[in-house]
Amino acid sequence: MKNNINKNSEFSVTRRNILKAGVASSALFSLAGLTVFSPRANAATVIYNFVAETYTKTLVDGSTTIDAWRFRDTDGNTGPGDLLASIIAQEGDTIIINLTNNLDTDIKFDIPGVLEGQPSLSTGSSTTFNFNAPSAGSYLFRENIVEEYSQALGLMGPMVIMPNNGTQSLYAGGPTFDQQYTLLINDFDDRMNADVASGVSYNLDNFEPNYYFVNGLSYPDTSTDPDTKVSMLLGEDVAIRFINGGLLTHSMHFHGYHVRVVSRNRIPETDIIDKDTVVINPGECVDIILPVVQVGKFPLHTHYIPAVTFNGAYVNPVGGALLILEAS
Amino acid sequence: MRTFTFLGPNSASLSVNMDSSTTMANGVIVPTWNFEDANGNGFNEDRFAPSPVIECVEGQQVNVTLTSMRAHSIHFHGLDVDQDNDGVGSTSGYVAQSPTGGNLGRVDGYTNLGSPFTYTFVAPHAGTYMYHCHIDTVLHIEQGMYGTVIVRPPNGSINEAWTGGPTFEREHIWHLHTFDSTWHSEDISSATTNRYRPDYFMLNGSDGANAITDTTCAIEADAGTNVLVRVNNVGYQPALVELGGISFQIIASDGRPLPSALNVTQMLIAAGERYDILFTIPIGFDGLATISYKDIRNRNTLGTVQTKIKDTSDLIFTNGFE
Ligand SMILES: [Cu+2]
Ligand SMILES: [Cu+2]
Repeated sequence: MKNNINKNSEFSVTRRNILKAGVASSALFSLAGLTVFSPRANAATVIYNFVAETYTKTLVDGSTTIDAWRFRDTDGNTGPGDLLASIIAQEGDTIIINLTNNLDTDIKFDIPGVLEGQPSLSTGSSTTFNFNAPSAGSYLFRENIVEEYSQALGLMGPMVIMPNNGTQSLYAGGPTFDQQYTLLINDFDDRMNADVASGVSYNLDNFEPNYYFVNGLSYPDTSTDPDTKVSMLLGEDVAIRFINGGLLTHSMHFHGYHVRVVSRNRIPETDIIDKDTVVINPGECVDIILPVVQVGKFPLHTHYIPAVTFNGAYVNPVGGALLILEAS
Repeated sequence: MRTFTFLGPNSASLSVNMDSSTTMANGVIVPTWNFEDANGNGFNEDRFAPSPVIECVEGQQVNVTLTSMRAHSIHFHGLDVDQDNDGVGSTSGYVAQSPTGGNLGRVDGYTNLGSPFTYTFVAPHAGTYMYHCHIDTVLHIEQGMYGTVIVRPPNGSINEAWTGGPTFEREHIWHLHTFDSTWHSEDISSATTNRYRPDYFMLNGSDGANAITDTTCAIEADAGTNVLVRVNNVGYQPALVELGGISFQIIASDGRPLPSALNVTQMLIAAGERYDILFTIPIGFDGLATISYKDIRNRNTLGTVQTKIKDTSDLIFTNGFE
């Protein structure tokens, strides 16, 4: 298996707290991004300490800033990419999330298919969610007190549950892989961010994004970040977990390769499997396997091409939801 | 039976027309750019955009030559060609490059303008593919620089979808696309490719009343005719495809057969996808297929285009008693 180089290697042993004795001491998490995971023989309790907060994001041009919302892991766990909160566990684990709301509005934490209908959390207060890891697959966690309002501002993250049968596979009995990437897609409409930052609410009917992200990054940052640039070896099977945290329908087009669509929202896909363009609906988690049949550098981008731009400007020098696959 | 003209098999020479246009049903003339063949034709002799159809044969070498005086390229979408022939300016580079500056100044580069560049690849699995320009892609696709690549089975059959696959008697290509006419300004340096808001909704370059009878779109054949439609979403909007209630089979997508055909009466297709659909003209049928272009955000219908499906035989429905 080929490991990525972790730009955040100083966090590699403190990515999360493992309570079960004898588990935390082993080399569970190698020097890589969110989605490198070493299977454990025993179930564990994994604890995440998250805050919901505002922040100012500097965009890929290095000068444009935008006020947004995010979840941040206060233990410093990061990734993939620019995301500051993510969850990874295996089936059988207990997941504990301690969440503090530092926004000036009430929020409702939500993991579709796992943790729904939770009571709202008022501004300034904290709560704890304690739940069993759901079945293996890719999940989106988010805030959803008002539809997708907070997602439009960036308040979401990826959750990956691995099977507990000791394999690197998408689910027990499912396809195995040599390495895996998690690519969370989202979109900002700078007019909405500006209104919300100045205390004015925004009508989602008017949501028309002009900045587009994969793991919180835009091109070309997507093509240097080791969690996001997909680096592959000829002959490998590479798993990609697409999570659409944004509000637009994206169809992700692979140059150079056809891929196998494995599941949509953890439901195995049986009808339309071999694709070069994979639809990822808003809120949807789509797991694919890419068999690396040739070497080279190939773009992977949404074919809603306006979302490959940076405020309408195409890629040169900066863009949007475009990254590079590099196979050697 | 094809209902379109084509280049090939296995070779094509394309140049670029940046002074073409599409006349909409309301009489408005929208400026376009398209790839064109040696006779100056696009998808058919009567239109510029979409660009010409290229045919090739599975397993055979294909050569497509592009000659351009401006910065353009050809990306063979879904054909999984190697990096050198991928047609992406930043990774392939084998394009007619623009001089720096000028009104195409968003493309860095140097010159090879006017020198032909030949893309080569081996045709993959029989099916429906796309090609399009991949320079300043958001603008160049919108202008009309896209077309269809059909890969025929190794025996070259034009009525078999792939080796051992379903057969058909009549074959259409439906390019699904839209225009945001504000992006088609004569002065392209001022085009602002932000917040795409389409105002024309097309099939093969026709909209409104034109599309209903457009011979490349409309399917008029005798009852019982097996029709293959290669649905190619070359535009930016997801779209819902309905055949006026006729149930149809989805047999392939993105150049690969489905594990088993799906029987449906409607189908969603997103930007960049292709679906091959098969149906039989029902006895006495006279109706309209409808393509509904959807908002990328909330799936509301932004606009529709319709075309005719009609049984041209004199067969009539009977209940068994004459
Ligand atoms: Cu071009
Ligand atoms: Cu494409």
